[in-house]
Amino acid sequence: MTIYDLDSILKKYEDDYLIIDYNHLFISSSIREEIWLLQRDDDSILLEKIRDQAQEFNIPEVDYDKDFDTYSGGQKAILGCILVISMIKNKNIKGIKLLLNNILESLSDDNRSILSNELQKIYDSNDVEFFTYKNGYIEKLFLENGNKTG
Amino acid sequence: MEIKPGRYTLEDRNLNFEVINEFQFRNRNECFYLRGGNGFGKTSFLEKIIIPALKTNNIDYLYIGQDIRTQLYTLRALLSILGHKVFNADEFDILKLWIKHSQSAKFFILDEFDKYYSDYGFIFDWSNKFIETYIIVTHLGYNQMEASIANYQSSNVRFEQINFDGRVKNIRIKKE
Repeated sequence: MTIYDLDSILKKYEDDYLIIDYNHLFISSSIREEIWLLQRDDDSILLEKIRDQAQEFNIPEVDYDKDFDTYSGGQKAILGCILVISMIKNKNIKGIKLLLNNILESLSDDNRSILSNELQKIYDSNDVEFFTYKNGYIEKLFLENGNKTG
Repeated sequence: MEIKPGRYTLEDRNLNFEVINEFQFRNRNECFYLRGGNGFGKTSFLEKIIIPALKTNNIDYLYIGQDIRTQLYTLRALLSILGHKVFNADEFDILKLWIKHSQSAKFFILDEFDKYYSDYGFIFDWSNKFIETYIIVTHLGYNQMEASIANYQSSNVRFEQINFDGRVKNIRIKKE
């Protein structure tokens, strides 16, 4: 029985996923650094969008240089998702598979619903498919009406 | 052990807790669930108030934190030092062995463990002979919680849900 052995899961499925994993959310220590790493440039407009979006999830004090470790676990998961969603929108990335590992389970009911709505939007606009990893299997995530249905 | 009512300030997290009812731990057959919004301070409350109180009272406890990945590395090393061959052991085996070696513990704290295992009845099976109080942080609804611990619930355990409500800077903790 494994908890986070994504390597073996990905081998099993032999497929390519962009993964947002609760236990490996960030490479760096702040939003500014993370954006720089993701697109090799600073982007003040993107930073502002991320801050605005974070407020929708009731994360009121987002600072571009604030250390990720000063946020709660759930807030970090939300910020990780917002970063990826923002990059997908910003670069108009289409047709990828996004695997959420232990993300939705880390969120309160309200925030899970808000995130599901955001995922639904990029599913519609960018043809991005969503998956979760549960009990050793990758399952497609259906987001109709912003609710996870299986 | 008890956590007295009153105001608790955690400056490094910019959090204030107002405990409006005392936490009175009876130290037998009880299970507390902490629920609330993201960033409302559930984990901080555990780490800055409950765990220090356990230490002050010299009560042994087990704690599975949110970052189980790091903890499992540490547990693997610890068990290896204790002489166990854990090279090929999976996470399930590691946890079982760790709990088996921790029978002086009276409290078991699980912070969102259900995101790794939706049915974690095995934790109770392995530990309820010596653990007196479980403190569980979860985002599950009551029905899901009830289902996930169905086996344990049949043995006359007091269940109590503690909600973290309010805003980031003004958290109230109340019993229901």
